[in-house]
Amino acid sequence: MTTGTWLLLAAGLVLALLLVSVTFTLTRLRRLAGRVRRAREVLDAALLRRAELAAALTRERSDELGAALTAALAEAAAEARAPSAGDREAAENQVGRLLRRVPAGTLTPELTEAGLRVGLARRFYNDAVRDTRALRRGRLARVLRLHARRPLPRYFDIDDGLDAVLTGPAPAGGGPQPRR
Amino acid sequence: MRIGLVCPYQWDVPGGVQYHVRDLAETLRALGHHVEVLTPAEHEEDLPAEHVTWAGRAVPVPYNGSMASMQIGLVSAARVRRWLREGAFDVVHVHEPASPSVSLLVCIIAKGPIVATFHAATTRSKVLAALGPWVRPWLEKISGRIAVSDFARRVQVEHLGGDAVVIPNGVHVPAFAEGPPLPGYARGGDAPTIGFLGRYDEPRKGLPVLLDAMRTVVRDHPRARLLVAGRGDPDGFADLVGADLAPHVTLLGELAETEKAAFLRSVDVYCAPNLLGESFGVVLLEAMAAGAPVVASDLDAFGRVLADGTAGVLVPRGDVAALARALSGLLADPVRRAELAGAGTRAVAGYDWSVVAQRILAVYETVAPTGGIGVTASADDDPALLGTPPPPGEAHPAVSGPFRRRVRR
Repeated sequence: MTTGTWLLLAAGLVLALLLVSVTFTLTRLRRLAGRVRRAREVLDAALLRRAELAAALTRERSDELGAALTAALAEAAAEARAPSAGDREAAENQVGRLLRRVPAGTLTPELTEAGLRVGLARRFYNDAVRDTRALRRGRLARVLRLHARRPLPRYFDIDDGLDAVLTGPAPAGGGPQPRR
Repeated sequence: MRIGLVCPYQWDVPGGVQYHVRDLAETLRALGHHVEVLTPAEHEEDLPAEHVTWAGRAVPVPYNGSMASMQIGLVSAARVRRWLREGAFDVVHVHEPASPSVSLLVCIIAKGPIVATFHAATTRSKVLAALGPWVRPWLEKISGRIAVSDFARRVQVEHLGGDAVVIPNGVHVPAFAEGPPLPGYARGGDAPTIGFLGRYDEPRKGLPVLLDAMRTVVRDHPRARLLVAGRGDPDGFADLVGADLAPHVTLLGELAETEKAAFLRSVDVYCAPNLLGESFGVVLLEAMAAGAPVVASDLDAFGRVLADGTAGVLVPRGDVAALARALSGLLADPVRRAELAGAGTRAVAGYDWSVVAQRILAVYETVAPTGGIGVTASADDDPALLGTPPPPGEAHPAVSGPFRRRVRR
């Protein structure tokens, strides 16, 4: 075979490989977009439920909460339930902070549970966002714009009382140290 | 809820992940859920008759001082596919999906809500680091990740680039708390006993350290005995112990589950002198559930389980003198032992399977809300990898409901 044929074959092979990896990346991106969307829906539902329960708490237990906390919590819950108005994250943060000031005996078990569910849903949503962003940062996806006009998903950052992501080396002292 | 659990390790070989899957399945079943387990095993006939499906034999490969399972292939893929179709699960829960095991296979094939639990807590894994980029596309399908400890979560964050919620391992507290002790070894007798459980010929489990400490302990407590339970080579044990300690050390060998609980109920002090590499320390929980005061080395995982030393005694790992002091002090002080046992009982209540299973259920409900699509066997991207596109004629009977799979390409 001549050099030309070899070159042609090599080019064909490279093209085929490229095609396979583009197809695969497209599949992954589409799958991740679905995961982000579903996680977002669950997070929305969890936040809404918490806000509704908080609003119910202010209606039913206002004497135990005190006038100031009741008014503040009712306002925050209303704000959180109207996501179109302003900053969603700030509104949810406000609900979370006020709920932490509610005395332990007054907090209904449903509300505690709803708070935990918000934490879970947020963790899983941010996880999906992180995976999507990592893949879209890849050279192939960036150059060929494989995400096809989907907006880059945003992290949803609120203070839900769960500990932050631990990165970097293990804390000094105690515990098996990474051996590299 | 219909739940599918996937265990990547041979079911008929004892191991932490296997027990975790088995206990989780039992607890969830008792709560009224339908649970199926898919697992490899050496012999299909060793599996329980119901609700456990054989995924074939896994090829064991040495990995981080123990054995991991390799299992990727067409036959296994077919079994996974059938299990997913017949199970029609709302959610599939895989364990340790980062190694090329049946768990990863399920991640590749399943389509729908997948939850994964990461058990390993090793940061020196070259295997994991090398596999990271290759398994990433499949791990991306996991919608909810669980780590059994902060350390396992850190591994997840560093090597696989994802976050996880921490839900600890569970323990059946009542099974350990109530029952008879081992015959002839009742707790509180005039010959105090110290218990050790684990592979005694594996230095990282720390038995040599404990034996050295025992030499000091028997000077203060001449009748003290050390009971060693676990797997290992019994022929080398006498050399390991040495002639001077031989009268004080009893080798019980490998114990069955019920014997293990009885053993933990018998000892006056339980000691875990491990040097490294423990991701969680279920055995500490079991000892606490059995009411044994615990002395353990200050590994991250152990500190967490022992509530930073309030529910047990932590000693610097590998420090013979400190370990001997702690053991001697406890053997001489029944009041302190009772205090620690009480604190242990209170601490372990939060790790009972009834509590842990509820937290795992909350994860299931978060990734698979009511009215969801459930899990099906996907066919859109695995043919390239597995080479078995299902014939278009048998169009996925398991796919039903409002979200039928879109046909593309």
